[in-house]
Amino acid sequence: MFDNYRDVGERYVTDTTLVDVEGLHFSRGENDIFRGVDLSIPKGKITAIMGPSGTGKTTLLKLIGGQLVPDAGRVCIDGEDVHRLSRRALFRMRRRMGMLFQSGALFSDLSVFENVAFPLRVHTDLPEAMVRDIVLMKLQAVGLRGARSLSPAELSGGMARRVALARAVALDPELVLYDEPFVGQDPISMGVLVQLVKTVNQALGLTAVIVSHDIKETLSIADYVYIIADGQVMAHGTPQTLDVDSDARVKQFVHGEPDGPVPFHYPAPDFYRDILAVKGGGR
Amino acid sequence: MKRSKMMELGVGLFVLAGILGMVFLGLRVSGLGFGMPQDTYTLQANFANVGGLKSGSRVAMAGVTVGRVSGIRLDPKWLDAQVTMEIDENLEGKIPRDSTASILTSGLLGEQYVGLSVGGSPDMLKDGDTIRDTQQALVLEELIQQFVSNMSGN
Amino acid sequence: MIRSIMSLGRGTLETLSALGRAAMFLVQAALAVPSREGWHLWLRQMHFIGVMSLAIVLVSGLFIGMVLGLQGFTILVGFGAEDALGQMVALSLLRELGPVVTALLFAGRAGSALTAEIGLMKATEQLTSMEMIGVDPLRRIVAPRLWAGFVSMPLLAVGFSVVGIWGGYLVGVQWLGVFDGSYWSNMQSNVTFVDDILNGMLKSVVFGLVVTWIAVFQGYDLTPTSEGISRATTRTVVYSSLAVLGLDFVLTALMFGELG
Repeated sequence: MFDNYRDVGERYVTDTTLVDVEGLHFSRGENDIFRGVDLSIPKGKITAIMGPSGTGKTTLLKLIGGQLVPDAGRVCIDGEDVHRLSRRALFRMRRRMGMLFQSGALFSDLSVFENVAFPLRVHTDLPEAMVRDIVLMKLQAVGLRGARSLSPAELSGGMARRVALARAVALDPELVLYDEPFVGQDPISMGVLVQLVKTVNQALGLTAVIVSHDIKETLSIADYVYIIADGQVMAHGTPQTLDVDSDARVKQFVHGEPDGPVPFHYPAPDFYRDILAVKGGGR
Repeated sequence: MKRSKMMELGVGLFVLAGILGMVFLGLRVSGLGFGMPQDTYTLQANFANVGGLKSGSRVAMAGVTVGRVSGIRLDPKWLDAQVTMEIDENLEGKIPRDSTASILTSGLLGEQYVGLSVGGSPDMLKDGDTIRDTQQALVLEELIQQFVSNMSGN
Repeated sequence: MIRSIMSLGRGTLETLSALGRAAMFLVQAALAVPSREGWHLWLRQMHFIGVMSLAIVLVSGLFIGMVLGLQGFTILVGFGAEDALGQMVALSLLRELGPVVTALLFAGRAGSALTAEIGLMKATEQLTSMEMIGVDPLRRIVAPRLWAGFVSMPLLAVGFSVVGIWGGYLVGVQWLGVFDGSYWSNMQSNVTFVDDILNGMLKSVVFGLVVTWIAVFQGYDLTPTSEGISRATTRTVVYSSLAVLGLDFVLTALMFGELG
């Protein structure tokens, strides 16, 4: 079904960069999450950031969105350092971004319609009729125009994520950040979401950053891929080049092998000795 | 929209009830009267001892409340208590100059108040005047002391 | 030894930083310029925080007033001073029980609900997504709740006192036979509007601010897990009850003590 997207890698060009991440360091408590990450995200393309669970991919999105402040390094969007902006300027910049959360994060006290209308109402002075038209257009695009009067609690996980996508693009942003858009979906909703991310991106000509560990789906729509592990960029390239990469770690990740350089076992003492130790009352 | 109208009505009633409650407290519980300040005039009286008299205690004439005590302070000249009273305006110029002010107690343990007993002078008290003839509060301890010393004297 | 001193130091620093965060939070939320629909958001919270708490506050007020009437009567009748019942009931309610019990009920009813609500919004990333849309959650979520709590509490406390005085009247006058006239007149001659009623209201305004502040901050600052939410809810009730009782002593000393 997605074979016709296989050629997108060739379209990758580096002429304009929208988001530039340089030497990013971030730690939470004792844990170093990022130790010098460099990324550049090209304008108008879909860039995927992948990596095993627990490598701080969501944290990276929060750093790009300015919700977390890095220990060192900087994030520039369109030439402006996100973490040096005043609170007011930061909120103004965020109007040019949309973010799709893993859980959808719809406002539980508003209906589907009002959720999508929310960014329009707070940031524009459009007349009610216009707001209605835009909201219905966005809902039509995600196929949920008929669900406009439902409350978020009545939606399935996949539907909630589609509504959240409509909300994220309500203001026609330049940059959309997707946090695990495909995780935990049944095959049909997954297919719908992959298709939607792709078509929405093409129709609006926006720049997308997808954080995910669903390899097959993500590689099928991404123009460029970064793989992050151990707080650093482990590999990057187009889906085609990564698919044939000879590095053992990249191979393990891209082809989903259970054991390899990234070990299956959490670090532990020798199994045989551990079993015997229990008899002695140890833990 | 209908739900939000109901909500507005509910909040409106809630605030209104709060204000009415405040009015109830003011009028019925604290006995606050409207327009009291301009309807009174001031009299003063010095007492050797005010006992338990407080600011806000009532001033009565023949048992009828005619005003309130508005302030009590120590008169630095005579070293006694100077009591300021706000009296009903209708009585201005109708209380004789030689009237007596005494501090009385309603019941054995009740609150203390100022009682005015009318004199016979043709001169009347005006705003800001001082009542000369006063009778101090009865202090229970002093009474008992007196009683005990009388008993032992006999 | 050094370890325990270190842990003391760390505890102190953590407490101070939490207090600092809470203070910044209050200032930012209270000073947030109301948005266009701020009025509507406030109204909605007034309904949720104020109107919905009214029933429990009024019922408790009635019972407390009735108990005061009964207890007061049995004590006062021993001195033959049952005429002072009105005064006793009214002063206890206006100065102490009205503001304090309303604040405690409010912490249990509305405070815990606020913490859980905001905590759930945080756990489901609603607050983060609001920030990413470019709307300050302090302004849109926190400020209306803070202001609604601040306005509701004195209104609730007035309701509590009024119903309580009526409850005392029911028991004292209707049931135990205190003379109707002396119940009210004794009350009127001993309750002063400024000293007793306004001071009591001032207390409930302070309590309203403190309880809502604690509730909203605990919700905003919690660890977004189900355990975190339940802990924060408990903390809201415990901290706000302690804060109310402690502040009550301080305010009472300032208002009615001979310190001023």
